[in-house]
Amino acid sequence: MSLVTIGIADLKVSNNPEDTLVTYSLGSCIGLAVYDPVARVGGLLHYMLPDSSINQEKAAKNPAMFANKGIPLLFKQCYKLGADKKRMIIKVAGGSQIMDDAGTFNIGKRNYAILRKMFWKNNVMIDGEDIGGNCNRTMYMQIEDGKINLKISKKGMVEL
Amino acid sequence: MSLMEEIIAAVDEMPPFPQVVQRAMQALAEPEYEVSGLVDILKVDQAVTANILKLCNSAYFGLPRKVSSLKEAVVYLGANQLRQLLLSGAASKIYEKPNEGYAVFADELWRHALATAVMAQVLRRHLRLKIDENMVFTAALLHDVGKVVLSTFVVDKYLAIESMVESGEYSFQEAEKEVLGFDHAEIGGKIAESWDFPPAIIAAIAFHHEPSSSPKEFRLLAEIVALANNLAVMVGYGTGVDGLACRGHDLLLQKLKLGEKDLEKLVLLFQIEMEKTCDIAGVSEH
Ligand SMILES: [Fe+2]
Ligand SMILES: [Fe+2]
Repeated sequence: MSLVTIGIADLKVSNNPEDTLVTYSLGSCIGLAVYDPVARVGGLLHYMLPDSSINQEKAAKNPAMFANKGIPLLFKQCYKLGADKKRMIIKVAGGSQIMDDAGTFNIGKRNYAILRKMFWKNNVMIDGEDIGGNCNRTMYMQIEDGKINLKISKKGMVEL
Repeated sequence: MSLMEEIIAAVDEMPPFPQVVQRAMQALAEPEYEVSGLVDILKVDQAVTANILKLCNSAYFGLPRKVSSLKEAVVYLGANQLRQLLLSGAASKIYEKPNEGYAVFADELWRHALATAVMAQVLRRHLRLKIDENMVFTAALLHDVGKVVLSTFVVDKYLAIESMVESGEYSFQEAEKEVLGFDHAEIGGKIAESWDFPPAIIAAIAFHHEPSSSPKEFRLLAEIVALANNLAVMVGYGTGVDGLACRGHDLLLQKLKLGEKDLEKLVLLFQIEMEKTCDIAGVSEH
């Protein structure tokens, strides 16, 4: 087995059954995992911000930083390896918040809201999610079978 | 001995902040420091010298030829880069001790401290805050140093702290205070005091979870560190054990009338800087 790390503002896809994709420390960021069980193709995205309009130049250089650029790119790269949209299993984790009644630090919430909106427009269903709260998450995806494991601060390992 | 007395004794026993670094800081604070004087201070410490040369010759700078003398390196790096290199070197050694009680990976505290320092610099620069750059970097870098001492004492109290945090009503620091009677910020202030840091830095460390309680003359620095800590934790550069159980302090954002988009831009600038810093410091992002 080889561990393939997806950094912050990064995405990777794979069709190598030996691979496990992993992304660490999801706080307000979102980890989006998509998997086609027939083609056995999977991809993992770790984005930080909802919308690239704040900096087009950065978006061109690193689309994985933003939901609106990273999400379509993740799907496209999976299609290139033979994945089919109809078969995709979609799992989402992250979008946490610090403790803040005023909601000033709600980037996590907005990161999740834009994903829901984009999926709704494109008829994509979410098959599993673990969102919000004030925990930190690490997300693993096994390319062999698409299994998603989450390591959650204070809770330990759970399967999503 | 009460727990507090034991901890004070441990603070006294902590290794001093490296003398070479402190003396170099003083020399660098002069508007026209002398390179040869600085070299004399630095060359006493072989590890520091080696580090400076290593950085100069790293791929990051991509220099056409090898820098082999300390003097050349000092001139090339300049005051700011040199200062940050020296501080980071000293801080990484302090943070990267095993943290038994708080059971975090040895480098997690360090990565969090570095992220907070980078975030604080982004805030200072981007929001044009009128405050010394060096002060901001140092205070932010050392803000959680109290956790290093505290973690060795809380092994048996840790579960109580954790379950209070899990209830969702207490932040990690509030739970520390409930269970122990004090928190890592207060202890951090005491450590900075024992290292003879300036009062502004001591205050910013001691009040980084309650910036509005900081003495007025140091409040801006405490607010910057508090906000930088909040944002670093929010984005995911936390310390693991406390997750995102940290109370938000948006005083500074309110004062400057900053909104959602401004916050997003700050996060973006932070990430760009953090990637560079991790490259230079040889730290992995996770
Ligand atoms: Fe803290
Ligand atoms: Fe902190």
